[in-house]
Amino acid sequence: MNRTPTLRLGPTLMLVGAMLALAACSTQTYPNSTFTSHTDLNADINAVWNRVFVLGMAVFVIVELLLFYVIVRYRGKPGAPMPKQVHGNHTIEMIWTASPILILIPIIVPTVKTTFKTQAPAAAGSLQVEVYGHQWWWEFRYPELGIVTANELYIPTGKTVNFTLQTRDVVHSFWTPRLAGKRDLITNKVNHMWYTPDPALAEDVFNGFCAEYCGTSHANMRFRVYTVSQQDFDSWARHQKTEAIGSPALAAARVAADSAARRAPARASVIPAAAPAPVEDAGYVFPAGKMGAHTVPKTPMPASVKFDDALLAQGDAARGRTLITTPANLGKAGCLTCHVIKGEQAYVNDDVARGPNLTHVASRHTIAGGIYPLDPSHLAHWIKNAQVMKPGTSMNTFGLGEYSPLLKGKVTVGLTDAEIADVVAYLLTLK
Amino acid sequence: MASSAAPAPAFAAAPAATGQSGLWSWLTTVDHKRIGMLYLWTSLAFLFVGGTEAFILRLQLAHPNGQVVSAEVYNQLFTMHGTTMIFLVVMPLSAAFFNFLIPLQIGARDVAFPRLNAFSYWVYLFGGIFITLPVFFNVAPDAGWFGYAPLTTNQFSPGIHIDFWVLGLQILGVSSLAAAVNFITTIIHMRAPGMSMARMPMFTWMSFVVQFMLVLAFPAITIALFFLQFDRFFGTQFYELAAGADPLLWQHLFWIFGHPEVYILVLPTFGLVSEITPTFSEKPLFGYNVMVFSGILIGFLGFGVWAHHMFAVGMGATADTIFGIGTMLIGIPTGIKIFNWIATMWGGNLRFTVAMKFAIAFVALFLIGGVSGVMHASPPTDLQQTDTYFIVAHFHYVLFGGSVMGIMGGIYHYFPKMTGRFLSEKLGNWHFWMFFIGMNLTFFPMHFSGMLGMPRRVYTYDAGQGWDTFNLISTIGVVFQGIGLFVFAYNFLKSWKGEKNAPGDPWSAGTLEWSIPSPPPEYNFAQLPIVTSRYPLWDIKHPERTAELRHSDPDTAVVAEAHGVPMLEQTETRTAKALGIPMPFPTIKPLFAALFMVMLFASLIFLHTASLQVAVVSMIGTTLLFIGAVYSWLTSPLE
Repeated sequence: MNRTPTLRLGPTLMLVGAMLALAACSTQTYPNSTFTSHTDLNADINAVWNRVFVLGMAVFVIVELLLFYVIVRYRGKPGAPMPKQVHGNHTIEMIWTASPILILIPIIVPTVKTTFKTQAPAAAGSLQVEVYGHQWWWEFRYPELGIVTANELYIPTGKTVNFTLQTRDVVHSFWTPRLAGKRDLITNKVNHMWYTPDPALAEDVFNGFCAEYCGTSHANMRFRVYTVSQQDFDSWARHQKTEAIGSPALAAARVAADSAARRAPARASVIPAAAPAPVEDAGYVFPAGKMGAHTVPKTPMPASVKFDDALLAQGDAARGRTLITTPANLGKAGCLTCHVIKGEQAYVNDDVARGPNLTHVASRHTIAGGIYPLDPSHLAHWIKNAQVMKPGTSMNTFGLGEYSPLLKGKVTVGLTDAEIADVVAYLLTLK
Repeated sequence: MASSAAPAPAFAAAPAATGQSGLWSWLTTVDHKRIGMLYLWTSLAFLFVGGTEAFILRLQLAHPNGQVVSAEVYNQLFTMHGTTMIFLVVMPLSAAFFNFLIPLQIGARDVAFPRLNAFSYWVYLFGGIFITLPVFFNVAPDAGWFGYAPLTTNQFSPGIHIDFWVLGLQILGVSSLAAAVNFITTIIHMRAPGMSMARMPMFTWMSFVVQFMLVLAFPAITIALFFLQFDRFFGTQFYELAAGADPLLWQHLFWIFGHPEVYILVLPTFGLVSEITPTFSEKPLFGYNVMVFSGILIGFLGFGVWAHHMFAVGMGATADTIFGIGTMLIGIPTGIKIFNWIATMWGGNLRFTVAMKFAIAFVALFLIGGVSGVMHASPPTDLQQTDTYFIVAHFHYVLFGGSVMGIMGGIYHYFPKMTGRFLSEKLGNWHFWMFFIGMNLTFFPMHFSGMLGMPRRVYTYDAGQGWDTFNLISTIGVVFQGIGLFVFAYNFLKSWKGEKNAPGDPWSAGTLEWSIPSPPPEYNFAQLPIVTSRYPLWDIKHPERTAELRHSDPDTAVVAEAHGVPMLEQTETRTAKALGIPMPFPTIKPLFAALFMVMLFASLIFLHTASLQVAVVSMIGTTLLFIGAVYSWLTSPLE
């Protein structure tokens, strides 16, 4: 019985100790900590938090100590005299009715101020970013810059970013713990959030998550945020709005193929000729070497999806491109029925596309809603059987002979491993 | 049914309730005490179901990228864990105490509508089975316990998973509403002479508030569920995105129910703790009036703060501010209660029985949930906390540290009254410490994993996110809780069969239920008591405890005379028939009415699994059966 108090003190000490530990720890240990001030918004949130936390802890410690004192001091003793019978005390009760109000006022004042400040419209001249939630990936658009991308968001430091949040299906929630609180993406509604990344913030990467349960792969709806200098951002943006270029060799092949098509109009492909794009510098990409360990996905590959990585070396980008752009192949390689590759034949536009825009997919570091790294092997496995790689995804199983959970049977019209290697080779040219 | 305090006339009793054992007697019982026991057994059985679900969830999350269950199974398990614990465990555990205690505490011989009471129980049992069975066939609901539209519409949740959830909650709502009407009537109409509202035991008071909350809160979710039900089965468009539905309609309707529901889950425990602490402090409850008013205030404010679950949805700064401040204000009456419990113990002669330990732990742990609650009542900080493990930690401190710990205290306290047998204090100590250590190990680290960026409801998380250690500790904590639960089960079953040695008043308590034998005879009070104070039994047995209290009759001699000797400790054990006390007949009809009603709801599933014809035939058939059962019930005499 007398041990009761000792253990009740446990949580108190745990909390205080752990908070001290947290304060001392670097982001290496807790790479998604909300206790940061990398943006004005999160600095405001943490200012309120600090106030609430200190007052809350004071109440917690005082009341638990009081309880602790009472159970030690008044523990029953055999033959103890009758306790003094008290039914109440108006003065004391008035004090503890009023004192919570005194504690609440210093919480309410900054709460109200911060709520109104952070929900005011964003300043004019902010960078506009449209966020669309999809089951289960993120679409990011820069309407002023003509960019549509997915799962990886670039924002310049020192500039206010105004997010316009919408969803294409169910309710999601946009959350980057180290940068800001969350805001829901509600169907048939447009939400806003804005913040300014600290100008002093280095070239850095942050994990983002969907924070509102949105179905089977809710846990697999992740994203990355890159904070980069304005100069690097401009370089990235300049390149991202171009069409899919591919490698110089592939670009040359495309020009040749297009002119051949013009010479023989009778056999013209339904794919319109892409304007020969000038091959330019690939633009800034967040350096792979700076991806912190916590931002490189480590999701294990399902054992049931097998792909011989040796085949990848033999993949041919030109063959891959022909494969997915030939209309006759739409049955077995219908990539373009759900994905947009700017410059290639469009069967869908970005507003109705079910999958991410792949125009510059090779400039990204992750695939599949941020749960796998972008590398040839993961891409090949993904194309072969995305259904197994990510539960519930709307991306079909394309590997010939693979079991598709969606079809509840084997894929009879699909891609051989060699063909998948070709498609992977092509996708990797989409820098 | 004895409807007032008038001494029962010798009644030409036909077959009165005499069968006290055997399966048939349990199926046909209309005795509030036995129905309370049925609630207790059933909800403890569901506690094992919900606990097993939680254990699997924690196994999956023990390590990053866990492979114990698939995403689909995990999502079903977390949905059913929440649904089970709220609707099938904590609410009916409270109902067990409502049933068993309210008539005893107010000096009544049964509830106002004994057969409706049986109906409530059977609806709960069949509804609970209906919503739980799909877990074993991989078709359980999988959209979370608050089932946000549009995720729950046919477009995003084809199949029958959500059908079970929608229909199951409707069924359980019927049970709660029927019971609430019953208890409101009971408390208003059936109090013994002298049992004024200002003398009602605190448990009955808090239960009274809860019944009103049920009556007011359930219609909101019933409407929300009917919309969804009609969308799913009949093609209406309340939540249909293409038709321009606003998903916030569901969220508002759900939380107008969902937030009062939190107080529905915890107020009965406030009541139990308010019975346990005075008994084992050997002092009356401190500040009775304020305890009553703060309970009413919590119930009232509880209806005005629902949108604090929705700070992230973009309601605008004004709405966020109003709901934020409103939420913080609930901290005031709740704080008063905590201080009053401590003041009750202050200066007392504390006896640390297992019940008392649970009650003290309740105060200590509920406080943690209350403090973290204020932390996310502030909209800016909530935007970092909502939908993270911080919230999971918060509501488990409220609902496990609060409701479950308090109810466990109530079980240890009232088991002798319910069964005439004691639960083992030695095993109870093991149970208590396993629960106390286990729940803190499990839920405290979740504060950290949440603030360090871990979203809730994820079936997996990647390595190296800074959450591994916290998650492992949480899982280890569940092992302690599991051990505690098994110790409790062993204790419960062993004592159930054990020696009947509990006296009428084993703890030297002060309220009416302790003035009659343990277990009480079917008619509760052979002679209806005349109540003179808040602690009528203390007036007689410990006049020194109530002598100084303004609420008591000043002259204890008058009090003792008014009670008469039989009131002091009633030892009458003859049957109702022998005493000529009219008791309601046992009847199987409420069971059939409940069964057919549940089958009627369940018939809708055929729309999605069989054909329209099968569904219509089944619905018409079960409707006729239901009407038949109700007709037969209503036309058979009560007593």
